[in-house]
Amino acid sequence: MTDPSQTPSTPPRKGPSKLARREERTAAWLLVPSLVIILLIAIYPLGQVFFESFREREFASSEPGRFVGLQNYQQLLSMTIRELPLELDANGQPVIEDGELQYESWVRVLPREPMRYRAVTEFGLFGNRYVLGATESDFILAVWDTLVFTVVAVFWETVLGMIIALALTARFFGRGAMRAAMLVPWAVITAVSARIWEWMLQPTRAGLFNTVGSALGISDGRTNFFGDVALQLPSMIVMDVWKTTPFMALLLLAGLSTIPKELYEAARVDGANPIRQYFSITLPLLAPTLVVALIFRTLDSLRVFDIFQVVLGNQRYSMASYAQSMLINVRDVGLSSAASVIIFVLIFAFAVGYIRAFGVNQE
Amino acid sequence: MNKATRLVLSRIGFWILIVVIFVYLLFPFYWAFVSALKTQAELIQTPATLWPADPTLQNFRAVFQNESFMRSLLNSTFVALAVTLLSLGIGSFAGYALGKMRFRGRTPSLYLILAMTMFPQIAVLAGLYAVIRFLGISAMPSMILTYMLFTLPFTVWVLTSFFRGLPASLLQAAQVDGATMMQAFRHVLLPLTAPALVTTGLLAFIQAWNEYLFALTFTVIEEQSRTIPVAIALFTGEVARQEPFGEIMAAAVTVTVPLVILVLVFQNRIVEGLTAGSVKG
Repeated sequence: MTDPSQTPSTPPRKGPSKLARREERTAAWLLVPSLVIILLIAIYPLGQVFFESFREREFASSEPGRFVGLQNYQQLLSMTIRELPLELDANGQPVIEDGELQYESWVRVLPREPMRYRAVTEFGLFGNRYVLGATESDFILAVWDTLVFTVVAVFWETVLGMIIALALTARFFGRGAMRAAMLVPWAVITAVSARIWEWMLQPTRAGLFNTVGSALGISDGRTNFFGDVALQLPSMIVMDVWKTTPFMALLLLAGLSTIPKELYEAARVDGANPIRQYFSITLPLLAPTLVVALIFRTLDSLRVFDIFQVVLGNQRYSMASYAQSMLINVRDVGLSSAASVIIFVLIFAFAVGYIRAFGVNQE
Repeated sequence: MNKATRLVLSRIGFWILIVVIFVYLLFPFYWAFVSALKTQAELIQTPATLWPADPTLQNFRAVFQNESFMRSLLNSTFVALAVTLLSLGIGSFAGYALGKMRFRGRTPSLYLILAMTMFPQIAVLAGLYAVIRFLGISAMPSMILTYMLFTLPFTVWVLTSFFRGLPASLLQAAQVDGATMMQAFRHVLLPLTAPALVTTGLLAFIQAWNEYLFALTFTVIEEQSRTIPVAIALFTGEVARQEPFGEIMAAAVTVTVPLVILVLVFQNRIVEGLTAGSVKG
């Protein structure tokens, strides 16, 4: 007979008992499948990507490739800022068109040797005009776009998610139906929702937004949401916010439900108005949930792939769609791997930063 | 303004808010549905109409006769089911060990799995090719294996906390009766975890059903293995030079309706699973 006190909950004092040893062995066997899979599809491939990022190799070819050191990273990250000179006419006078000074094209100022630089963006500062050039301008732009996308999208998801969650804490007829409706955007396949939005944002009045826009007189009915560079990122953000707001709202709703009702009653008795109640009760008590939700959503946004790939293809990249395109379309394993490593480091840095800043305790 | 009018106004404001939220959440899906019912002529007609003048099922018919789309439906179902079952099987073993047993290396294992839940898929894409090549497997098994990158850590994490919540006395009683750890697992604990298995299984299924990055990459040269997200993203019409949005919307509705039904039936479980771990209970 086994002594019941010798069970896992009370470990033996002197050396591992037979039972404890057997338990240790069983546990090891139970964990083996999970650990083998993690090793096979996460840790080994991650090491492989790290290794390939220092090499040059064509994708899916039998050539062994060669070691190139930091060259891939150098190509991805080399940047320079140059001043653009004024464009001068034959008499040496500055050219003015539409009342604006004209500048030389970046092609003439950015270096071409040893690596060719392309313009990422131009900007004015103290009356001069500068160009930011990079040897891999697509990647620099992808990183910048992904960061902007993440900050703006997560902000709006949080605001809208909060509004929806607060509205749903009230008891009203049809609350169950509302909660069910919230799961619809979440459940739609992201690539499918991208195509639905692509259809709604068509550049003619066959598209919903152009129809409504021209009916309201705010557009000419030919707004090209995906072709116009200035509208590409906002369109992506609108699509992502629709898809992910419900998740945010659900998390916040769960957090709200843990706040004791008595606190609000006490506050009402003390004469605190709803806005005061929100800032002194709801927000502080919701903070831990909010932080976890923000971490989830930020890390998720930084690896956005589906909507960029489906809608913009090779027109404009997110970090992930850039790395995937380099691998599959350009077939440059080294460059793609180096980009993947940079993405991994960035996401890791964000995670650590969040946890440092808010001191999230996971257990 | 007296108190009664203010109350009425705030009620009206509240209901306007609720209606706006409801429309915002469901309108794109409604739009896909009505677009799918429109004729080709009405689809390109400007301005767009809110309801089809002449509803037709021709887009749906075209989709159901589209062989590669129907194959992708089968592929997706098979891949998602296989991933779900494998994750649940392997994950419940790990969850049992991590939640109910004492052994050295328990905490590092837990942290490893927690870290995995934040893992960016793109970071391992190129490396997974080496693994797949080494194993010599085709696109479908590749997807099944690699999808566990995101389903397994989550499954293990949720099941671990579920097992930990089960009373230790159950295990002790089984052991007193002479059951081994594995017998106790199979006959006593596993039946009790059924609700958690349903929740995590549903979420794993939906994640696998949704996955696009790996599916797109692995099926580049293996078109017959495409799953739904890839098939719809790359959907091309039989004849039209323009993108056949009527058919695409019909396909979108076709793949979304079963999922929405599934989600509505199990909504409480899903909400529970989604919020697990984010709110300290």
